[in-house]
Amino acid sequence: MAYRILLSLLIVGGSLCGQVRYEDILEAPSHDWLTFMGDYSANRHSPLGEITTDNVADLVPKWTYHVSSARRLTSYPIVHDGLMYVTNSNEVYALDARSGRLVWSYRQEDVENDRQNRGAAILGDRVFFVTTDCRLVALNRLNGAVIFAEEYADPDDGYHCTAAPVAIKDRLIVGVSGGDSGMRGFLEARSPEDGSQVWKLWTVPAKGEPGADSWGPKTLDWGGAATWMPGSYDPELNWLFWPTGNPWPDFYGGDRPGDNLYSDSLIAVDLDTGELQWYFQFTPHDVWDWDAQEPLVLLELELDGKKRQVVVQANRNGFYYILDRKTGEFLHASPFVDKLTWAEGIDENGRPILVPGMEPTFEGKEVCPTVRGAANWMSDSYNPDTGLFYVMTLEACDIYTASAKEPEPMIGFAGTGGERPPGAGGQFVLRALRPETGERVWEYPLTGPTTAWAGTLSTAGGVIFFGDDDNHLAAVDARDGKHLWHYNLGQPVYASPVTFEADGKQYVTIVSQTDVFTFGLFEPAVSVPQVDTGRKP
Amino acid sequence: MPWDAATSAEFMGKPEAIEKGRESYLLVCSGCHGATGEGGRGPNLITGRNIRRATDADLFESIQNGIPGSDMPPSPLPDEQIWQIAAFVRNLSAPALEQNVPGDPDAGRAVYYGAAGCNNCHMIRGEGGFLGPDLSNAGIKGNFNSIREGVLEPNKRFSPGFRPVVVTLADGTTVKGSAKNNSNYSLQVIENSGKLHLLPKQKIREANFQEASWMPADYSQRLSEDEVRDLLAFLSRQAVGGAPSKP
Repeated sequence: MAYRILLSLLIVGGSLCGQVRYEDILEAPSHDWLTFMGDYSANRHSPLGEITTDNVADLVPKWTYHVSSARRLTSYPIVHDGLMYVTNSNEVYALDARSGRLVWSYRQEDVENDRQNRGAAILGDRVFFVTTDCRLVALNRLNGAVIFAEEYADPDDGYHCTAAPVAIKDRLIVGVSGGDSGMRGFLEARSPEDGSQVWKLWTVPAKGEPGADSWGPKTLDWGGAATWMPGSYDPELNWLFWPTGNPWPDFYGGDRPGDNLYSDSLIAVDLDTGELQWYFQFTPHDVWDWDAQEPLVLLELELDGKKRQVVVQANRNGFYYILDRKTGEFLHASPFVDKLTWAEGIDENGRPILVPGMEPTFEGKEVCPTVRGAANWMSDSYNPDTGLFYVMTLEACDIYTASAKEPEPMIGFAGTGGERPPGAGGQFVLRALRPETGERVWEYPLTGPTTAWAGTLSTAGGVIFFGDDDNHLAAVDARDGKHLWHYNLGQPVYASPVTFEADGKQYVTIVSQTDVFTFGLFEPAVSVPQVDTGRKP
Repeated sequence: MPWDAATSAEFMGKPEAIEKGRESYLLVCSGCHGATGEGGRGPNLITGRNIRRATDADLFESIQNGIPGSDMPPSPLPDEQIWQIAAFVRNLSAPALEQNVPGDPDAGRAVYYGAAGCNNCHMIRGEGGFLGPDLSNAGIKGNFNSIREGVLEPNKRFSPGFRPVVVTLADGTTVKGSAKNNSNYSLQVIENSGKLHLLPKQKIREANFQEASWMPADYSQRLSEDEVRDLLAFLSRQAVGGAPSKP
């Protein structure tokens, strides 16, 4: 049967049979959460406003779902018509979003290793996710019946896969991981009908191609530049804005002289053809493992008196960047953390002004920020009412060591790494930035051990939700960062919150280490009558 | 020929070894364990947890040395013959895909979509009905015995999330389908059309869980022996990868 995206969306008093269209995702987020970042712009701002700064103090837990096989959930749920899709390594769970009851689950049994999984995609009547061994799997979203499981990268070539696919029109955009151990990165578009390849864009050029001369012969074939986080999409340009990861080996650049394109970059890619439109590299010749896998947020900003369509990123290297979305023109960069020692600034071309002597050494060199970076893959958000950009930042430094050992791919060799100096803990700081200038407007420092990977969510009710590194889901006022509410989840958080509406009520969900928690405003309990089941004792 | 990995590989999963093992099994083991391994005086070799968890070495040694404290005696058979029996026993609980189930899978496909009408309630690769379990990975998820039981004895056990139910809503309308989950407070039901109902119990007047499966229990009469054989051969080869959906 030819797969067709139907136009009708039918909701009948608690019954579901609606198809998700590209147009629905384009208009998102609304009462649903239809894609990894909420919408294609990665603003992560929900128009839902039932939960406000005035009543968020009345937020209470509504339900918890325990994923018994989980070791570390990192999933951003998808929610459509009261059904929530949460992923674990090689698994998908479909939950009744009102009650947290399991409707169906799917496990890819024949996978040899478990790694994290960041989420699913939804389109039509299907839900899609990737397995650790890089199969794109399509399931019927109502009963979890498997439709196809198509391999798009071979683990024997150094790949594993963790990213949430992104569904756009008739494409599923998928990426690969493995850049810390040597592989050749790429981005692909696949068909949601049968999983077949539509196009492939290598993020490391082949010998003789443009950019290949920015590598050395030993590492070109295994250069990394992984694509392990989803990017953004501009429907007017019909372009993807996708982040790429570090070059390999991560911490020793002697075998890869040059900038190492297109590692640590933003690549603008035509959705239809997969052709590269432009690129911007944040950390040329990276030797600190500073993947550019932070959210690429599409905004319209007034700069120098002119409205501009831009893409912004609070990059792992500690600088906040603004780029023109159409041309890739570098417009601005400024530090968003204090602990930043590797570069004095960014020049007028967008290149870092390096501080001499900040590369990893065989003996160890303290450099700020850490390997984890000043920011990382956890979500940022933008609130159009405050005009502020909310970032979870990390103030910390590492001692970086390097090794000139002959690079051997696929054995976990990264050219060594970084570790925190003894006694130097570091600190997460939730910051609100003025996106036009990078100016810090307010800060909310955290007190935990900096082990979380939780980002922010903005809502029309003026609330910023975020996970902290002390096992909480918390809420602050978007205007000034004033604490409003928190809840102790009892376990670390490695994902960012989402919000949705069901039966006219707003809920907030966060996935913690092994459980899915959902919160809503307090309502007095209503007695539930016993229902006759025809069962005899 | 004591256990080692190379010896295991020489016998385990090999059709010729399994067939020879079957012949020996029938002569030596079936008196206690049943002609098809279903058990009797000795345990069930298909579903028995200890059997399925046993290593290849465990199987070999149990057959050769017997099990002290039980009625399982040691065997005087030569090592090679014991290995063949072990291969046969292992195969009893192996996924159907590995069991080389006899029959014509192409003819079985015609039965599946024709005389048996399985696709009315089951899906394969996303095509079919919603009432029954997804069969896309029947060859991986189940062994031959479980598939056979599922087809011919559907009332023996319900797969989790597929208990038949007839629900009368508070407004008097009726929903007939499979209960995905049930508690004192909510019920999730899917109709064969794919309409999924997420129902708080306040919206339900009555929920009658049926004793009998929605699936016909008379396929052994409706279908000929050849049709049943071919249908099982077809189902045993279904493998997209991974497990079918289950709550």
